[in-house]
Amino acid sequence: MLSRRVWMIALVLIAAAASGTAVAAPPKDAIVVGLLAEPVTMDPPQITDLNSARVTKRIFEGLVGQELGSYKIVPGLAQKWDISKDGLTYTFHLRPGVKFHDGTPLTAEAVKFCFDRQMDDKGPFYATGTYPYVKGFLGNVAAVEVVNPSTVQIRLKSPLTPFLQYLAHQSLFISSPEALKKWGKDIVKHPVGTGPFKLEAWEPGVRVVLARNDSYWGGAPKVRQAIYVPIIEAQARLSAIKTGEIDLTMDVPPDSLDELRKDPNIVVAEANSSAAWYIALNTRHPVLKDKRVRQALNFAVNKDAIIRDILKNTAIVSKSPLSPVYGPYHEDKVPTYPYDPAKAKALLKDAGYANGFDVTFFVPESGSGMQSPVEMATVIQANLAQVGVRAKIQTMEWGAYLKKYLDGPDMAEMSWNPSIGDPDHMMYMLLSSERFPPAFNAGFYQNPRVDELLKKGRTTIDDKERIPLYKEAQKLVVDDAPWIFVDHGKQVIVHRKRVQGFKLHPNFDLVLTPVTLQ
Amino acid sequence: MAAAGAGGGLFAYVARRLLLAVPVLLGVSVLVFGVLHLAPGDPAAIMLGAQATREDVERLRRDLGLDQPLPVQYFRWMSHVVRGDLGRSIPLGREVLPEVLLRFKATLILTAGALLVAVIVGVPAGILSATRQYTWLDKAAMGIAVTGQSLPVFWTGIMLIIAFALSLRWFPSAGMTSPYGGGGAADVLWHLVLPAVTLGTASAAALARLTRSSVLEIVRQDYVRSARAKGLAERGVILRHVLKNAVNPIITVLGLQVGYLLGGAILTETVFSWPGLGSMMVRAIQARDYPLVQGGVLLIATTFVVVNLVVDLLYAVFDPRIRYE
Repeated sequence: MLSRRVWMIALVLIAAAASGTAVAAPPKDAIVVGLLAEPVTMDPPQITDLNSARVTKRIFEGLVGQELGSYKIVPGLAQKWDISKDGLTYTFHLRPGVKFHDGTPLTAEAVKFCFDRQMDDKGPFYATGTYPYVKGFLGNVAAVEVVNPSTVQIRLKSPLTPFLQYLAHQSLFISSPEALKKWGKDIVKHPVGTGPFKLEAWEPGVRVVLARNDSYWGGAPKVRQAIYVPIIEAQARLSAIKTGEIDLTMDVPPDSLDELRKDPNIVVAEANSSAAWYIALNTRHPVLKDKRVRQALNFAVNKDAIIRDILKNTAIVSKSPLSPVYGPYHEDKVPTYPYDPAKAKALLKDAGYANGFDVTFFVPESGSGMQSPVEMATVIQANLAQVGVRAKIQTMEWGAYLKKYLDGPDMAEMSWNPSIGDPDHMMYMLLSSERFPPAFNAGFYQNPRVDELLKKGRTTIDDKERIPLYKEAQKLVVDDAPWIFVDHGKQVIVHRKRVQGFKLHPNFDLVLTPVTLQ
Repeated sequence: MAAAGAGGGLFAYVARRLLLAVPVLLGVSVLVFGVLHLAPGDPAAIMLGAQATREDVERLRRDLGLDQPLPVQYFRWMSHVVRGDLGRSIPLGREVLPEVLLRFKATLILTAGALLVAVIVGVPAGILSATRQYTWLDKAAMGIAVTGQSLPVFWTGIMLIIAFALSLRWFPSAGMTSPYGGGGAADVLWHLVLPAVTLGTASAAALARLTRSSVLEIVRQDYVRSARAKGLAERGVILRHVLKNAVNPIITVLGLQVGYLLGGAILTETVFSWPGLGSMMVRAIQARDYPLVQGGVLLIATTFVVVNLVVDLLYAVFDPRIRYE
């Protein structure tokens, strides 16, 4: 009977498959990382997503780097550098003897080549990619000049203090010019850098395999292979980490964290991040233009309850735009907005809205770093209703939402995960009046003193002078309440106990160099 | 082949059908291009995210040719398509054609697995139900079928992961191969079981119900009564006389199921991180990756046309009365 025969064959095949592969013990020297999605591109200047950055930053390096666990700038491919008194000329002295993975040497020419590739839209290699951040990060660069084979000079058009932090961003990482000449547009899948790992294989949708670079200038990593697999579904990531199919992952369902913390084979690593989750309030809206109303909304929202019940303690309350990971730049002594509906009502009454008002509240269905946007919006809507504010939620898919957000909505959720470790990238980018829509100051917030402080902060090099500027700006911004300050999400990484020495970095990077496997 | 009797007729028929596919595919291309570009959201802005400057967004739009009027963009794209060049994905920077073909292979493996599940579960269940009409077996089988057809795949998938990957640890929870690689066909098969069962469940149910009704219809025909009257064993009656005549509607539905499975694969692929066209398309749509979505849809549409043609040709194999001219 035909169907019976088919049955038999299928069963035999399945049994053979199951017995052939029944969970092999993971290799001792290969770490398997479960990412939310596979990398998009491995050409550093073209990267705009976290998954690509988390893989590609193992392969490439910048002139400067960040100390693991903080935003402190440390030497990278440049051993040391000098900044001229006027803040316009940066001279970098390259580390001697560094080679790209293809064997070609790192030279000042190579550095110039990588920057010119993006800046010079008439240049021969401009067409090998699209460069999302070129204006943002290199727009202020006048020229890159080779002084000698191991010295490169970058001249700026005007002083810009965050520039050194820009150089630690992957878009300004250095790749092999020879590889670019060889691969052209296909450089996106043939990365050649100087980093501790090099690409061994990329099977699209399946896995990326990085192999240890044995001749890495900083000493070869202890892990022989780093294997990245995309696991889109949170429940599947949870299952894979619990069964040991993967060694390290992130964004498991928040409900499962307590159980994972009790699992003897698993470590839940947590750290604060620089991310800010807020609701932008349109300061040109007829009602929201009144500072008292905006302050009232801040008092009305129960941030602690949101963090406890929805985010399962994977966040801390946001007091100002800058989270504590900004170290000396973070200001703790700002006006605070504890949950206080009575005070919110009083402020609204004061402003002439004792009976509340109507407002449209834009909410994305999901999106980069948005945590649980709809659930959080629902609670916030209920909180606001208690003080008489009738917020009408309008949800949108992320792509459409982003467009709406840049149209200057009345009231809209946003999550900002700065890729640059400089306070400027938070304060200036989101709150300067030079950044009105279509840039990201979506609420048209404007305070002349804040503008002045942020402008000065961009050009002041000495930390001692710079820190007070941002501290004052934070106090002013928090008092003006252009946002409802909600939370700073924590990074939560779950890994098997056999992974030792893993340390979180504030910008969500997954650094594998110090990791050992048991 | 039965239709071979028609000789050149068959060839002409296939040629005519393929020629007719051209306007269909052209229509599909206009439709998908229009719908995609009219949907709000700008690939440059999405790609660059919050941290880019306005100049960078505008520069990227210009570099991508998105600042041109829509008809210009369409004709520019189409003029490349007719030359076999589907362009490059916007965020991936990779050529679309090799990318979609590679992903399509994974989707075909999944679809084939699901179809196998559907056939080996659905057809016998339908025959069993029909031959034992109104018994508890029939009622149970049809009850399960209705339930199976109503379950959403993302729910079935997650339940299977919890039961068979997390608790029993029989099968892996995600992917098509082991992360360490080198597993070969057995490894793929092992990874295929849960997604294929997830995706095949609804089809198996649909097939069981259809097989039951078509067998029931034929069982009542005179020639079946004659076959029984001349003393044939019941098994012979069912296999040789009933099933052979019930097979054409089953093939029609199987053809439709291939389409359903290709579409349904999107959710299953996402749940199991299966590296197929579906999971890639979801990501491409979210990123407004026009070239990749357009290329993927064209490929799926082409598959539909081909599957329909194959189904029509198969009728003749099973029913010698059908000829193609």
